[in-house]
Amino acid sequence: MANKKLTIALFSGSVDKLTAAGVILGGAAAEDMDVEIFVLLQAAFAFKKENAMTNDRVAEITDKKDDFLASLKRLNTPHWTEAFKTAKEMTNVNIHICGFAGKVWHGEKLDDFIDLADDICGIGEYMTAAEESDINLFI
Amino acid sequence: MSTEELATMKADKTVDARGTSCPGPLLAAKKAIGEIQKGQVMEVLSADEGTRRDIPKWCKKKGFEYLGTVEESGFFKIFLRK
Repeated sequence: MANKKLTIALFSGSVDKLTAAGVILGGAAAEDMDVEIFVLLQAAFAFKKENAMTNDRVAEITDKKDDFLASLKRLNTPHWTEAFKTAKEMTNVNIHICGFAGKVWHGEKLDDFIDLADDICGIGEYMTAAEESDINLFI
Repeated sequence: MSTEELATMKADKTVDARGTSCPGPLLAAKKAIGEIQKGQVMEVLSADEGTRRDIPKWCKKKGFEYLGTVEESGFFKIFLRK
């Protein structure tokens, strides 16, 4: 039986939403899903090498940011980059940086982004992947 | 399987995932299932309520046999057969 396909349009560069994406990726990995992630605008900021580990912005309930970040530590929640890496090790996950998004954040080459990124692509690839997937999420 | 049967069940492999929260225990189970043979029993220890609900569904999808859950003090022992 062919693996189910999950496509994620990952727009957010905030650690709360990236953490949620990491949890969903864990679920996908447990079920051997094939995953295509398209790193769009603000997410491309978080995927820049100099930002990935230092980015502690949250998108929602911003007045409770410190409590949120402390709870992630208390619950031994892996950093989102770790969660993404684990999913990549356990199932077929391809991570594409949107070329436009990269340029917005002054990233022209794949090497400007963390090693999790597999290539730089255009939006056409996202449309094709979304058409072919069983689940398509915008985060 | 009855609670009494499960309580005395000897697992071929134990996965202690009590230190992680969702989806940690599920991923630990996924990793460990590759290390046992078909027909062998694995127990997953988890303090996470979500995992208790996830493992039976995961077993069904992956073709493993969910045997049942024993509730201990502060955690669950979730049994399955590969």
